Order: sequence, then structure tokens, then C-alpha cells
Amino acid sequence: MIGLAVFLLGAAAAYGVARRLGVPTTPFLLLAGIVLNVLDLVPRAILQDSLVLGLTFLLFVTGIELSPRRVRAQRRAALRVGLFQFGVLGAAGVGLSLALGLDPLTAAYLGLALTASSTLVVVRLLQRRKQLFEPFGRLVVGVLLLQDVLVILLVPLLTRLPEGPASVAWGVLGTAALVALAFAFQRWATPLLVSLQHEEEVLLLAVLSVLFAFVGLADALALPLAAGAFLAGVTLSPFPVSGMIRGQLAPVAEFFTAIFFIALGALLSAPGPVVLLHALALAALVVLATPPLVVWVAERSGFAARPGIESGLLLSQTSELSLVVGLQGLLLAQITPDVFTTLALVTVATMVLTPFLATEPVVRRLMRLHPLARAGEVAPPSGHVLLLGCGSGGMPLLETLLALGEAVVVVDDDPEVVERLREGEVTCIRGDAADPEALRQAGAGRAKLISSTVRRPRDNRRLLETVEDVPVLVRVFDDDEAAWVAELGGIPVMYSEAAAEEFLRWFDRLPAPAGGGAANRNP
Amino acid sequence: MTDLPVLRDLGVILLAALACALLARRARTPTIVAYLVAGLVLGPGLHLVDASEPVDLMSEVGIVLLLFLVGLELSLDKIRDVGRVVLSTAAAQVGLTAAGGFGLSLLLGFPPVEALFLAVALTFSSTVVVVKLLDQKHESDSLHGRIAVGILLVQDVVVIVALTLLGGLDPEGAGDPAAMLRGLLASLGGMGVLVAAALLAARRLLPRAMGWAARSFDVLFIWSLFWCFLFVAAAEAMHLSVEIGAFLAGISLAQLPYAHELRRRVHPLMNFFIAVFFVSLGAHMELGAALEHWGAVLAFSVFVVAGKWLVVTAALARAGQGEATAFRAGVSLAQISEFSFIFASLGLASGYVGRPVLSILGAVGLLTIGGSSYLILADRRLHALARRAGLLRPFRARPEAEDAAGSEPRGHVVVVGMNALGRRIVRGLAERGEVVVAVDSDPAKLAGLPGRQVLGNAEHPAVLEEAGLPRAKLLVSALQIEDANNLLAFRGRSAGVPTSIHAFDQAVVEELREIGADHLIVSKSAGTHRLGRILHRLGVTPG
Repeated sequence: MIGLAVFLLGAAAAYGVARRLGVPTTPFLLLAGIVLNVLDLVPRAILQDSLVLGLTFLLFVTGIELSPRRVRAQRRAALRVGLFQFGVLGAAGVGLSLALGLDPLTAAYLGLALTASSTLVVVRLLQRRKQLFEPFGRLVVGVLLLQDVLVILLVPLLTRLPEGPASVAWGVLGTAALVALAFAFQRWATPLLVSLQHEEEVLLLAVLSVLFAFVGLADALALPLAAGAFLAGVTLSPFPVSGMIRGQLAPVAEFFTAIFFIALGALLSAPGPVVLLHALALAALVVLATPPLVVWVAERSGFAARPGIESGLLLSQTSELSLVVGLQGLLLAQITPDVFTTLALVTVATMVLTPFLATEPVVRRLMRLHPLARAGEVAPPSGHVLLLGCGSGGMPLLETLLALGEAVVVVDDDPEVVERLREGEVTCIRGDAADPEALRQAGAGRAKLISSTVRRPRDNRRLLETVEDVPVLVRVFDDDEAAWVAELGGIPVMYSEAAAEEFLRWFDRLPAPAGGGAANRNP
Repeated sequence: MTDLPVLRDLGVILLAALACALLARRARTPTIVAYLVAGLVLGPGLHLVDASEPVDLMSEVGIVLLLFLVGLELSLDKIRDVGRVVLSTAAAQVGLTAAGGFGLSLLLGFPPVEALFLAVALTFSSTVVVVKLLDQKHESDSLHGRIAVGILLVQDVVVIVALTLLGGLDPEGAGDPAAMLRGLLASLGGMGVLVAAALLAARRLLPRAMGWAARSFDVLFIWSLFWCFLFVAAAEAMHLSVEIGAFLAGISLAQLPYAHELRRRVHPLMNFFIAVFFVSLGAHMELGAALEHWGAVLAFSVFVVAGKWLVVTAALARAGQGEATAFRAGVSLAQISEFSFIFASLGLASGYVGRPVLSILGAVGLLTIGGSSYLILADRRLHALARRAGLLRPFRARPEAEDAAGSEPRGHVVVVGMNALGRRIVRGLAERGEVVVAVDSDPAKLAGLPGRQVLGNAEHPAVLEEAGLPRAKLLVSALQIEDANNLLAFRGRSAGVPTSIHAFDQAVVEELREIGADHLIVSKSAGTHRLGRILHRLGVTPG
């Protein structure tokens, strides 16, 4: 009990500091573990069990969130970007490790570990910035999913590498069998869980039973339990089961993963100068190589420079899965504690950096570095209507404007939209509404009207500050946003108000027993 | 990596618990009984689970979290309105049941110390069982429900005192009254310190600290768990039972506005650990001994069910409660508690009682918890039966109209997500004379709205339950969270309530339609229409 209290003390401190600084919690949990270790407070008796259970729950939850549906239209781009980034960064990681004088097996471990980016960190950032639904947000989510699958399925093979090709072949076979079972289970058994939706307790038991059954199976097949836990999650990932269990499972997983990272931190040895140097080199590789790699492929998959850069910055950290890879190697004594410490340092450093790197100023600075290859646009006529952002919702408006014979220029960063519009012979500039160059090309200053549906409030703010003497309509959802748009001289278009009015019109049209309120007044 | 006893033990325990829980579900038996049976099968039956340190630790964490939750439940105004009735009834129930139990035990030939333990153990009723079944019947807010919960809470305090006394008693010094007294005083002193710390923190420290943490529920959750285990560790250091520490930590947080949401988060964690606890409890039970003492088991079980019902109903009738309320509250409490086992196993650990007592209590627990859960589920019909048979006349209770389904809203509209859209919808519906229940996890966003508000994450079924979803005529979600919206559409459909969901992006439309949302609020198209109108007003588009 006192041991648990100590772990939770560390967790409470880490959560508090991370919340105060606005950075991910994982690195601080590791630091808390290190501090506890230095103070010799670590409860040794429950250390291994905490690691094992924490690892199990962490990968289980990762598996549950593995829903390819989130990626949607960006599936192909995600596959290309993901595979390319995985291959090149992995190879570079192996190469750098070898150059640093590490042995080939260690280099393979480090290479695999470096390829993963942190789902925990990135998805939370995207959610907070409300970018999960932008095309690049979906691209990033797709890449993350792909990385998870690749890393977890390659770990069993990596651990068998020293035992020779026959062992690896058995590993492949075992993994394939478990994957097949997972999909069979997902197809036939998971839907049965829906009938338990009103019994939280039994549902939780059922879900955890699936977890432990798969972990047991993985163990029986001599595969790492990480693979079993992850595949157990995958079997439960389809909707609505994943949604039903999220609320139940989240607190349990939160508890165990917090303790897991602290226990992991407690395992780290004190880093010597060599370890620090290696960590620095590998962290530099991740942070410096990832963005250009992602930008390069993303642009070849039809993305504009800005979303490419944002994706690249978001993906440039190592992951909780990197630690899992390392832990696996450490437990099998295939890598040394020093290598594991190196990996942990890389993860701590890159995770802490991410919220500071993936920011507006850095993106803008990188845009300037980018060898700009924007196709020269025809100078737009003056007196046109300029639409900044023209997603699916904007189409009817565009069609109306065109039908009325208005001259319209569109600026959009979604490659699909741009292509479709250009096919329809609409003057369209691929780029970001926040980019002054794109605005200049689109003739923002000579337009008779600008309508902005871009999402980032900061972009709209800059737009309103730069454009003068042209009426600017800005799509807003929140009330305070509307207030400052009006203050800066823009015309707020309240989507939330419009949507509420439409809802109420629908509600008023409902037949009496369901709507109208009459049924209510005389019960 | 193959030698991992924790995973093996946990896996076996959970699978057995699931199998029994699924069977119990068919028989409408509470899960506690299922877990005990699972334990019986695994332990005495198949010898698959032995005592192991990690499993014991998890069991203990289960008890800690259960008591933490009970503490979190104990908001003062909940008891205040039924306070006097509850106190007098609880005093009568505890006193009479203990005295009767003691007498019965002596009669059955138990030595006085064991008789004392049995008497105390038989006194407690199960908070978890009762609260769970009341919840299942949506009667937590009914008068008899509140009275029953109040009595259970008084019992919990008695449990705490009993556990303290037990913790302060040193078996070796049992013969020495001075040492016993010292132990007792030390325990009471330690408890006093903890109570003072809890109350002081509740007033001075926690509102500010937790208020800061509550802006992110993850932080609040971890901090609260730390707070709980801090008290547990302190209790352990002072040689008090961990239960007291957890309970006091819960109480000190119960007055916070986020206690509700916190409870919902701790609940699944408790469910997980408590399953381990009950299964391993069952695994350590020796019902063989209970079979030898089947007469005593039967006598105690009848005594618990009939005796508690009789005492509680009579006491409530005397206190002026209506007949139906008194009867149903009495039925609710007619079982023994998981604390009875804890209490007895502590007694066993300190050598006061023999193993047979634990087995007997286990069997009595199985019988009374299983039996009373059926009784509770059928209490309305039982009341009608007893009335017709004239059984209730001797109580001379005030006749009482059958309580209506309560003040719960019906035919209302549940609106989830108090962003700019949600708040407008709530206001618009309220203007139309609709009864609206607004749901959000941020108290600031719920402020100043008309109608009822429910604070909490709508992904938890309990939150929708609290918002009265099954009786609502419409479920609206204004959220901009894809997963939550999909789940709400699904929950609405499976509850038979029409849904109107915010489709905030074209990408989410298709899936919402597939899930069966009845209406989509396509904010972008609505906004575009408005944009068009504004353009028209600005003279951009003719006609």
C-alpha cells in the first residue's frame, strides 16, 4: 500500500507539473521515476508487476483506438507517408547507431524504436487544437496507426533475431496466427458484447477477460505479451464496442499507465557522457530528419507545404512504444541498460520538445526555408469574391456565386479540393489562408469581398489585421470569437447560431407527441 | 517473460468471474454472489488460485477504492433531510440485530468472543448490493431508497469504529485490560488525527488545489487517487485499518463540486479490483465447514432476512413513515455485507475467531445477498402480497399512496455539449416550454442555463441515466467530438429515443447515418446558408 502511495505521489507530481507547463505527462512520469530511484524510494516489491500490468494496459488501449475509419480520405496518403518515414527513418536510425559504434542487434532495436511517433502526445495535441478533422490531422493519425501496427508486429521478430532464421519464421507464423484470431474474434465475438451495454461491471469484466486471454495466448505462442495486449485491443476496436468501453477503461488504463511510466523511469541507470552523447545524436536525428521526410512525401501525395510541415513537426518525437520496444530488449538482455536509458532520454527530450516545435512561428519560419514551388498563378481580376477555404460545406455557395456570374478566387490547402476546383475551371490557389504570399497572389487587397472559413482563429486575426477596406466575412462558432472578429472590423458569421436556428425549425416541425411541447404541458 | 504469475492469476480470476457473472446475469443475481461462486470454484474446487502477494495487494486496493467511493458518496445534505429518522432506525437496527445475533450465537453453542464477532458481522447490510440494486431500479432518489442508504452510511460509521477497535486490539495483550485500553486509545487517537486532517483539508486545502486540478479531469483523477492512498498510508503507519484512511479521504473530497464525476471515474477502477477481491475471498472460503454447520447457517440466514426486515420496518413505522416506505426500506437491508467478511477475516487474522466462523458467514452472505437481491427486485409485489395477507397490520404504519415514479423528468429533451450551439439550443427549447436537461463536463459551461443541468462526461452511461435518457423524447448532441457523437447516436437508438446529432464536418455524416441518428445538425451547411444571406444583404448576389 505504501508502495502504491509512493507511485501515486510521483504520478501526482508529474501530472501537476505537466499540466502547469502545458506539456505531455509521459516524460514527467519518467522523470518522477528517476527521482524516486535517486531518493531510493522505489517500491521494489511491486516494480515488476507494475511494469507488466502497465505495459499490458497501455498496449491494450492503443489497440482499441486503432480504427482505420478515422483516417478516411487520407488513407492512401497516410500509407505512403507512413511507410516512407518508417523505412527511411528506421534505416537512418540503424545507420547512425552503427556509426556510434553500437552492435548490429542494438542498432536494429534503436532503429525500430526511433520510427514510432507518440500517439499519446500527438492525438492530444490535435484534439486540443481542434485539428483532428483537417486533412493533415487525418494524415497524421493514419501515419500513427501504421507505425503502431508495424512496430508492434515487428517486435516479436526482432526479439527472435539472435536465435536465427528458423526462430524468426516461427515468430512470423505465431504472429500471423494471433492476428488472424484477433480478426476472427473481432468479426464474430465482439458484436456480442453490445448486449452488455447496460451492465458496466460485466462489460468491463468481459473486456478484461479478452485482454488476458490474448496475453495468455501470446505467452503460449512464445510471443511478447505486448503483441497479445495490442491485438486484444484491436479485436475490440470496432464501433460501438470501443465507444462503450472507453469510459470504463480509460480510468483503469490511466491508473496503470501512470504507474508503468514511473516504474520505467525507476529502471533507468544514471547516464554517463557516452549515453548522453548518443541520446543527443539520436534525438537530433528524429527531430531534424522527420519533418523534411514527411514534407517531401506529403507534397508528392498532393499536400501543400504548410500541412506537410505541420504533419512533420507533429510526428518528430519518439513514442511510448519506443519504450516498449526497449523494455522488451532489456528484459531479454538483448540490449544493455545504458541503451535503454539512451532510448528513454531520447523519448523524454523529443516528447517535451513537440509542443514547442509544432507551433505557428516554427511553421512559418520553415515555410520560408521551403524551396517554394508554387505554380505561377494568373493575376486574379480585381473586384472578385475571395473565398479562403472551400471545403464540402462551401460548395453550394461557390456554385451559387459562379451561377450568378461572380468572379471567384479560392484559396484552399486541401489538395483534393484544389484539384476538384481546378477541374471545374475555378481559379484556385493551393496554399494557406495565413500565408501572405497566397493572399497577395489571390488579390486580397483588390477583392470586393473576402469570406473566410479557415479554422485557426490566429489566421483570421492576421487576415483581419492585414486586409483593409475590403469587407471580410469570418466563419465563427464560439461567441467570444464572434466578439473579437467584430472588434477587428470583420463580419462574424455565426455558424452555431445558424445551426441552432435550423435545429429549432426542425424541432418545431416535429409531430405533436415528439415535439412542439404541447404533449408536455398537459401530461 | 513466461514466468508471470500476476498475469496468470489475474487472467484466471477474471475469466472465472466473467463466466459466473454471465450466468448470474440470467438469474438476475448480483455480481458479488457470482464472484464469490467463481472464487469457490477456483479455490476450494479446482485449486487454481493460491494466495499470492500481488493478488492480495489488488484485493486490498479493491477494498480501499470501495471505501473511498462510499466516502465520496457521503455528502452531508444527502442525510440531513432524513437524518433523524435514519439515526433512530439505525440505532434500533444495529442494537437489536447485534443483541439478537449475540443471543442466537450463544444459543447455537459459540463461545462468547466468537458470538460477539458473529453478532457484529450480522449487523451490517451491504452498501454495495443495496446501492447497486436501487440504482438498477432507478430508486436511489426515492424516499425508501434514501432512508436505506442513510442507514447503510450509519452502519458504515459503525463498521469503521468496529474496525478501529479491532485494529487497536492486540491479540497477545487480549488478557490485559490495560494494554487493550491503551491500544483502543491509540487507535481512537490516530482516528481522531485522521478525521481532523480530513475535515481541515476539506475546508482549507482541497477546494483550491482540486479546483485547479479539475480543469483537466485526468489530473483531478490522479491527484484524488494520490490523496486516497496518502490517507491509506497514513492509516497504515498509525496501525489503523486501510479502510478508515480510504473512507476519510473520500469524505474530504465529497463536498467538492466534482465529486460526482470523480466517483464515475473511480468506479470502473473499483469494479476491477473489487472483482479480484471477491473472487479471492471466495477462493479462500471453506464451505466444507459451513456444510458441517448447516443448521447455524440456516438459522443465521433466517435471522438476518426476517430480523432486519422486522426491526427496520417496525422502527420506521414508529418514526411515522408510511407503510410502503417502511416495508421496502426493511426489505432493502435484509442481507449481510462484504464488511461482515472483512471484519471476520480480520478477526481470523488476529486469532479471535476460528476458520469455521468465516465459512459460516460466507455461506450466510451467499444466501442472504443472493436472496435479498431477488426480494429487493420484487419489493413492490411483495408489499402488495404482505398487505393483502394482513401481515402489515401489527406495524400500524400510516397508509401511504404508492409513490409515483418520482419527480424525474419525463418527455424532456436531453442536450449534450454546452458550446455556443448547445447553449442556444437549450435556450431555444426552454423558450418553447420544453423541459430541458443540459449535460456538460465543464461546470462553467453549464452556468446560467435554464432547466436542469447534469455535470459529467456523456460517454459514461451513468451520466445519461442521470439525465433521464430512457424517458426523454429527444437526445441532442452539440458536441464536436466524433467518437462521443457516434456513441450518443448509438445510445439513443438502443434506448429507443430519437437523436439529433451535430454533424460538424462532412466526414462524420456518413457514419452517423449508418449508426441511425434521426436528424443531423449540419452546422456547416446551415452556416453557409447564413453566409449566403449576408452576401445577399451586402449586395453581392442579386435576387
